[in-house]
Amino acid sequence: MTIAAARWLLYCLCVALLLGGLSPAAAVEPIRVVLELNPDIENGRRQFAICARCHLPEAWGTRDGSYPQLAGQHVNVLMKQLLDIRSGRRANPTMRPFVQQRTIGGYQNLADVVAYISTLPMTPAPDQGPWEPETAEFREGAEIYTARCASCHGIDGGGDNARGYPRLQGQHYRYMQRQAHLVRDGLRAVEPGMAAVLAALTAAQVDKALNYVSYLPIPAADLAPDVDWRNPDFK
Amino acid sequence: MNRSRRLSRRRFLQSGGVVLAGSLLGGAKAADPAGTPPAIQKILRRAEAGASSGTRVIVVGGGWSGLTMAKYLKRFNPAFDITLIDRQQYFVSFPLSNPWLADQLSLDFLSHSFFDAANNHGYRFLQADMLGLDRESRRVYTDQGYLEYDYLVLAPGVEYDYTRIGIDDPAQQQRLFQHYPGGFVAGSELLTIKRKVESFNGGTFLLNVPNGDYRCSAAPYERACMIAAIFKRRRLRAKILLLDMNPGITIKAEGFQRAFDELYGDYIEYLPSSEISGVDIDGRRLETTFDEYPFDDAVIYPPVRASSLIEAAGIDNPKDPQKAPLTDPFRYHLIGDERIYVTGDSRSQPFSKGGHTAHSEAQYVAEVIAAHALGREAVWRSPQTMCFSAVDINPLESMSIITYYRFDEHSGQFAFDRTHLVDHWDPQGGQASLAWAEGMFDDMFYG
Repeated sequence: MTIAAARWLLYCLCVALLLGGLSPAAAVEPIRVVLELNPDIENGRRQFAICARCHLPEAWGTRDGSYPQLAGQHVNVLMKQLLDIRSGRRANPTMRPFVQQRTIGGYQNLADVVAYISTLPMTPAPDQGPWEPETAEFREGAEIYTARCASCHGIDGGGDNARGYPRLQGQHYRYMQRQAHLVRDGLRAVEPGMAAVLAALTAAQVDKALNYVSYLPIPAADLAPDVDWRNPDFK
Repeated sequence: MNRSRRLSRRRFLQSGGVVLAGSLLGGAKAADPAGTPPAIQKILRRAEAGASSGTRVIVVGGGWSGLTMAKYLKRFNPAFDITLIDRQQYFVSFPLSNPWLADQLSLDFLSHSFFDAANNHGYRFLQADMLGLDRESRRVYTDQGYLEYDYLVLAPGVEYDYTRIGIDDPAQQQRLFQHYPGGFVAGSELLTIKRKVESFNGGTFLLNVPNGDYRCSAAPYERACMIAAIFKRRRLRAKILLLDMNPGITIKAEGFQRAFDELYGDYIEYLPSSEISGVDIDGRRLETTFDEYPFDDAVIYPPVRASSLIEAAGIDNPKDPQKAPLTDPFRYHLIGDERIYVTGDSRSQPFSKGGHTAHSEAQYVAEVIAAHALGREAVWRSPQTMCFSAVDINPLESMSIITYYRFDEHSGQFAFDRTHLVDHWDPQGGQASLAWAEGMFDDMFYG
């Protein structure tokens, strides 16, 4: 997944807020602003230094699920999360101050940093679920995933950059599991379609589907050579 | 709020208090309350903090651990009826207090209201001093009366252990604390230290680094840098004597050494392996095993131990020099009692003591308790220690380190896992430290 030379679209949803009683209008339609930015990978690397202080220079996240793997994720997915956290739409109080205009800067810097992150190789040892292939739970998870998830996230878990669907391949099982349960419990807001799919499944079904995803192979070209690889940009 | 109150409470508990707990608190209804002084009667009544509904959770200690715990317990289980107890009136952050000493941020930035935290996150705040615990009746005794719990989280933090720098007499401990506070336990200490720095007119300003698992391992070195920066700005003829009880700088060593050499060569004199053996308070002299150091003013940071509340509750591990309790290293509950959890800097695990560690740990332990209430189990995850150190000012320039822990099956102990050290200082690091603190305060009080 290389986007280095690509121009890409940034969708920013600007919603005009109505304060009750102050405006005579019944409703104001959301306005979608489309920006097109050329990412500067070198500037992205400099911006990423601040992210790396917590996310670590490889952006691999943690197997226990406290941090997600960011490396190799689609730029549009990363950008949407940055903007959602910036606006508070995705509640993440501890990260929020890091992605404000006054700290990381404007859209260009955000574009640069997500472009840089997307070039990083992924960890060859992401966290995987408890049910190995050949188990009944694994097969059940495969069926659920294929029926309910694959149309957006891809049969191979590769996601869809153009449509902004996250790549699930290589994401830590316990991270996906925690996030899915937060959504099911109403503690994380996501797109209505995603929320509906999760609401229609039992917690056990969600776990099995994610278990299956965590065993989907990652293309060799996207992987770091081994778990001891360290990002040379931050030596 | 201050040391004398703490000492007097401890003496109370160690003498009459425990006996009182044995006779009256143990449910002896025959005891005649008429002969009991009103102050004691008050603590024997049920606290009038509001009716409880649902599963009652008491969190003792409104620091980084307790605040995070109360918020996330409510978030993970809205049926929990949570009361957070702290004896302070409001919260002051120790993280980022060194840049505040050097005028890089305001006290408003560091100060927050327990009421805001409780109102925004759906729990109750009670300003009270915990006095004791009766595990049989599941009661926590406070100076405002007792509260009953289904789950109790103790996060009372640390206290200074002056005996480890040769001060055994409680009256002398109190005097040393009041005149040369260490600046890591109570808000008044910080205000006094700032006043000391501002009014210093030259001579020797003595600081020290304690040994053992003290709170905020980088902070004493950072403090030396920040005070030196102020003295340098004022062009003061002054020397900061930094006596380290350890054989060398304990964290970010190359960075701090470079800062001492390159930025503050004229101001900081660093002396490792300085085992403090006593302080002559009136004569303003500090004694080490081999030397004596006269000073004009000082900030004396003794080694720390778990809060004496752990002892008062009767749950300390007598074999532990830090007097921490005996808890399950992964689930944090008292061995043999899954109703009581100990987190934050009074924990038994050897994690680095500090705000970020306590914050990340509390989110996990809140999951453990919420899961326990549902008959489930949470999967262990490591706390993280994120630690910024300010080195230079105007603009604020900082270094940082983040580390995780793993359990080593061979040694049966926790060890450092992945670590990312940025041991050069720059304005990006300074800005990151402010964003970090802002996010933490937002999470604990507002968001």
